[in-house]
Amino acid sequence: MKQEPDTQSNGESPTLGSKDNNRRKKQREGKSGRLLLSRRAFLGVSAAATAALTAGYALKRPDVNFLSPSGNIYEEFTEEWISTSCLNCPTRCATRVKVQNGNAVRIAGNTLSKVSDGKTCPRCKIGLQVLYDHNRIQTPMKRNNPEKGKGVDPKWTPVPWGDALVEVSSKLKSLRDSGQPHKLLILDGLNSSSNDDLIKRFSLAFGTPNLITGDALDDEAAKAGEWMADGHYTLSAYDLEKTNYILSFGASIIESQKPLARNLRMWGKIRRERAIRAKVVVIDPRYSVTAAKADKWIPIKPGTDAALAMSIANVIISEGLYDSEFISNWTNGFEEYKNLALSQYSPESVAVITGIDADVIRQIAREFAESKPAIAWRGRGATCWPNGSYASYAIFCLNALVGSIDIPGGVIYQEYPEYKEMPAIVKDTIAETGNSKDAIDLRGKGKFKAAKVVTNQVADSIIENTLYPIEMAIGFNSNFNMLAPGTERWNEAMAKVPFYVHISPSFTEVSEYADIVLPACTLLEDWAYEHCPPGSGFTEVKIKQPVVNKLHESRTLGDIIFNIAGEIGGSVAQSFENIGDSAEGFVKYRTENLISWNDFRTNGVLVGPDYEFYKYDSIFETPSKKFEFYSGNLEALLKSSSSSTIQRIACLPHYTEPEFEGDEGGYPLNLVTYQPALNIESGSQNYPWAQEIYLVMHGYGWNNFVEINKETADELKIKDMDQVWIESPLGKIKAKARVFQGIHPEVVAIARGQGHYYDGEWSNEMGVNPNDITGVHYDELSGQSAFFNTRVRVYKA
Amino acid sequence: MELNFVSVEGNSKNYKIAVGVLAGLFLLGLICYAISYYEGHYLFGSSNVIPWGMPIVVLIYFIGLSAGSLILSTLVYVFGQEKYKPIGRMAVMLAIALIFGALVAIAVDLGRPENFWRLFMFFYWNNMTSMFAINGILYSGYFIISIAYLGIILSGNKVWMKRWGCLAIGWAAMVHMGTGAIFGFMAAREAWFTPIKPLEFLTAAVTSGVALLIVVLILTMKFTGRDLRKDMVISLSRLLIVFICILALLIFLDKMTHLYAPERAAVLYSLTGHYAWVFWVLQIGLVVVLPLAILFNKKLRTIKWIFIASLSVVVGVFFERFFLVIPQAGFPQQYYPGHIEGVYGAVGQFAFTPVETLVSLGIISMVVLLFLLGLKFMKALPEKTPEEIAAAAAKIATPKTEEALKTDIPAGPLVVENKPS
Amino acid sequence: MARWGMIIDLDKCTGCQECTIACKEENNVPHGSPEEQRRRQDPYWHKVIAASEGEYPTAIIEMVPMPCMHCDNPACVMVCPCKATYRRNDGVIMQNFRRCIGCKYCMVACPYGARAYNYREQEDLPYNRIDPPLRRDLIGAWPFPHRAHGMVEKCTFCFHRIEKALMEGQQIGTEVVPACVEACPAHARTFGDLDDPDSEVSILLSNRTSIILREAMGTKPKVHYLTK
Repeated sequence: MKQEPDTQSNGESPTLGSKDNNRRKKQREGKSGRLLLSRRAFLGVSAAATAALTAGYALKRPDVNFLSPSGNIYEEFTEEWISTSCLNCPTRCATRVKVQNGNAVRIAGNTLSKVSDGKTCPRCKIGLQVLYDHNRIQTPMKRNNPEKGKGVDPKWTPVPWGDALVEVSSKLKSLRDSGQPHKLLILDGLNSSSNDDLIKRFSLAFGTPNLITGDALDDEAAKAGEWMADGHYTLSAYDLEKTNYILSFGASIIESQKPLARNLRMWGKIRRERAIRAKVVVIDPRYSVTAAKADKWIPIKPGTDAALAMSIANVIISEGLYDSEFISNWTNGFEEYKNLALSQYSPESVAVITGIDADVIRQIAREFAESKPAIAWRGRGATCWPNGSYASYAIFCLNALVGSIDIPGGVIYQEYPEYKEMPAIVKDTIAETGNSKDAIDLRGKGKFKAAKVVTNQVADSIIENTLYPIEMAIGFNSNFNMLAPGTERWNEAMAKVPFYVHISPSFTEVSEYADIVLPACTLLEDWAYEHCPPGSGFTEVKIKQPVVNKLHESRTLGDIIFNIAGEIGGSVAQSFENIGDSAEGFVKYRTENLISWNDFRTNGVLVGPDYEFYKYDSIFETPSKKFEFYSGNLEALLKSSSSSTIQRIACLPHYTEPEFEGDEGGYPLNLVTYQPALNIESGSQNYPWAQEIYLVMHGYGWNNFVEINKETADELKIKDMDQVWIESPLGKIKAKARVFQGIHPEVVAIARGQGHYYDGEWSNEMGVNPNDITGVHYDELSGQSAFFNTRVRVYKA
Repeated sequence: MELNFVSVEGNSKNYKIAVGVLAGLFLLGLICYAISYYEGHYLFGSSNVIPWGMPIVVLIYFIGLSAGSLILSTLVYVFGQEKYKPIGRMAVMLAIALIFGALVAIAVDLGRPENFWRLFMFFYWNNMTSMFAINGILYSGYFIISIAYLGIILSGNKVWMKRWGCLAIGWAAMVHMGTGAIFGFMAAREAWFTPIKPLEFLTAAVTSGVALLIVVLILTMKFTGRDLRKDMVISLSRLLIVFICILALLIFLDKMTHLYAPERAAVLYSLTGHYAWVFWVLQIGLVVVLPLAILFNKKLRTIKWIFIASLSVVVGVFFERFFLVIPQAGFPQQYYPGHIEGVYGAVGQFAFTPVETLVSLGIISMVVLLFLLGLKFMKALPEKTPEEIAAAAAKIATPKTEEALKTDIPAGPLVVENKPS
Repeated sequence: MARWGMIIDLDKCTGCQECTIACKEENNVPHGSPEEQRRRQDPYWHKVIAASEGEYPTAIIEMVPMPCMHCDNPACVMVCPCKATYRRNDGVIMQNFRRCIGCKYCMVACPYGARAYNYREQEDLPYNRIDPPLRRDLIGAWPFPHRAHGMVEKCTFCFHRIEKALMEGQQIGTEVVPACVEACPAHARTFGDLDDPDSEVSILLSNRTSIILREAMGTKPKVHYLTK
């Protein structure tokens, strides 16, 4: 029989069986023998329970009654929608911004805008992060470290606005007083239309021809090609709404091609909102987002688009599929063009050049000609080459071949608002002398005969003191130290400039070389007017007005220019009188003939009259007043600048094998770069919303890769995500390899927009900048920088 | 045979060191938990791909051990296997300590632990189709049942011991099958989705329970100066062989079923991919191969080797749980046909973060600490026989050598040299 | 009673990801960081995945936007122990932050990876929306209360917009739609009542070939994809 535990003695130390415990236990037992809680125990338990419950409530818990993120209940609540516009890319979409209690919380499209049916592209919403960027310049800063270089700390100290402006203007004034206004370099990045107008006015009033925009990094060759054909030195606009066939030569239509928001909206429309579904064929060495969404992707050997275009012309002409009515009535030089195409660009011979089957060439040519209206769209992939102008010309001529000029669904001609004319610029003799000097980018001279601007040449010109040395520079929202090929030269050049004034909302790579930085307002605090780049045909004017109070001590760019001009005084100040006296005043002044100020501020957008087609008798600005397959404009230009005889072929669209940076033996692969949709073109990329989803096709953010074809990677023994070196004759960069099926075997691709080092916490030290190793070449006619003709070798790190 | 049960003195140096170390680890775990409570679970290794981490592994491991121990204790109290009587109480005590540790592990894994009371609003605020809610009933019931079971055992009421034991064994089985169902009923996770999971979990529970019992038995008896009762150990080891074989069979069936299905990428990756070594070396190797190799070998039928085999099973079953929860959850889901690029198609990674590891160690230390304290404050161990007391005294007089410990101890009364008549 | 569903036209979609950004903007979803993306602890309500097949030169990559599918037979609702996630009568799968205990069972069960967990406290940003409280008896839990760590969150079909529209008598599907539908520049997304034969979603479903993701799971998702 088992003994009761409490009477057991076991020789061990007392435990439950001790006599004392017995007594306590007997006390606890009530009459029924059950255990009862003593009063002390009851109180103890209650206290513990209360403490536990209190502790439970004291611990942090989510309280859904409070609706603000911080948990505050707002006593007052104001909400309003303000119309303004975007500037994260040159499209400048009209937007409306929701402002709650003085904070901008949401950006949506302005439904009154017709360019994109009130829609925007994804970059638009990043504007909120641009406005509240931690990397913004908060006050004017002065440099304290005389040494300038990449990675050299400028040692910024804040200075008051007054002092900064006085210093800048006195330096400018002394430059004028010494009779050297032309030694001022103005770097004009992505700015509002009104600010561009003000900058241009300033450069003319001041007396410097050295106004450098970034156009020659993007569009100049494309523009030159059209100019050769119809006299318009412009990007083409296309009536997308009614087109039935798009043949894209390297144009990333729904990824980066401006006007992006319009392209995105029209894509949806032409695919599934009409009776006829438009067909899209993309010719590109890389499987871009546009190629993924298109109906056919044709990989091509880079730089051979002109040959392909001429071969398509060959097929269209030889099979009699061209629009003979348009050709005979409205074109000039068709015979020569025809002979050239038929004799030298048979599909079989071009198949060898481009790597595309002759059958495929025939097939697209027929489709293109028979799916009217069709457009041939030349993009950067085809035009940013040493032979880019002629490639642009060849592709543009395809449109004329099938009659797609100024018709619904074809190429159209962008109209621009007729703002109120400003009074004439007051130019004194200093300005006149300065303006008469040649610009250091050698535009229109020697090498770059037809060029309006040769952006990338500026770096070399500064380094070599070409024509004359530059004494001072002002940068308005520019960042060529990241965006131009051969970035090392820009670093060297900007370090050499004796006095550089940087004006932009946030710190970027070029600001590292500044002597003074002035904080400009962001797109959501600025006063401006905007009009779209070519795309819609009809014109549209948009306002930019502050949606919130200016953050920090920023000032609008317009006000800064007015301030500086006023400080300089003399004819410069006079040129800025009577045009509004401030950024806001300037916008009002220039638009008051178009729309009432109240309406403009409320609606935010003014849509111009409908586009008129078929303007053949007035639209061609060529010697023959017709579309020219043999470019009279170019012939005149070449004749005027050289005395030797011009070869006929120099004025016809044709293919020449481009020169490459690097030889094929040492550098077997071709580097192409591209711009994803979320690349913000302001020069900064410090925006987490854009960074975290940067590469949609690869499913990664915060980085970029060197994308290599699988077979090529296998040969080089490179696996996915290996660290590799990409080396060109200019240098080498280290990046992760991405083994990708969507790229030509002889090509590697790197997305632009990463590789920052003087930006913000969300972009510094992430990815690489392929422009570091891109060679410096130009399409000499237009000054366009070549981006895709650099050869590289890739090997494991 | 009648046994008297006693508690240990708890005064020896070993005991104090053990308690001290365990208490220290437990406190460290507590501090790390407090840090993670205020900072957030980014300090853990889990992610949106592999949502459950070490606390859940510890949870299901302990539930398994607990259920296994409890089921084994019913060998004594329900099935009347007298030869296992010495370990009966220890098994139940172990089961209670383990289930308490498991409940703590649940609380640690929760994102909002102050809401834990919501798990107990059965039928009222709970969604009873959820295995977590069902398990809420099962786990809390199991906790109460096992404490009551211990109370009944301590009171010695044989009738109720048997009745309650039946309830306990049934409930324990359901508890661990319920735990298996958490994973086995998930259609979205290909590697988990099989009806075998509840049975596999139950078998793993009993297997690990037997093995743990052997390990604890040997260690406890050794450190408290009691005989190692080799016949009972060998008998338990024979049980262990049976359960390991059943477990191996169930694992095999589970994997084969998945490999036959055309949609086999996830399971194939878990068996041949980056983390396959966890399966083959740590799970199969430690649970099946090594123990069976030892236990089937007649020459190795010694306490030491059985101990090694059992320890291998105990550790291996932990890695079996780990492999289930972490590597098998990592394979990307096939949202859309084709290969999904980038982060959404990448195999999940799990980082062993210091905070998470220390918290898990803290929970384990707490359980062992509870067991040791239970040994001291409850009468769980059989009373020392006079021979064992004499041997202990002799040990103090003449130091026992390691050799003596290793020799075969024949059944029957210990023959002591120079025994005073 | 309405049964809200969404149509995403993969032929019109341009892969621009504005829907993902619009959702973050509308619902104050915190942005991640490189570290969080590497460890897959970054918060998201909406994602665009790229699914690739084939080899050069005939490789194809399909970009598929994926909100929460708001299934009619949801796997997540079945496994939530605390009724923190539940199906509303109008088909929206709700997420009640107050009840969520952070057990992550719903994340395990979701076949579409629609759910994200809050791994840390997030800072308040100046561009986060603040809105006056609406009546809780009408709308229940607000989608973006103070975000404490430890809870699971997901796309809510912008139910706050639906509620507001119902209160103010606006048309849902034409005048009022979720933020992602409103933002899509290509008009690739449509929202509306699947049970209404006259709604645009019903008409689109009847005219075009559509698919649902992971149909074999049997979850009956209410987000349909129109194929190319």
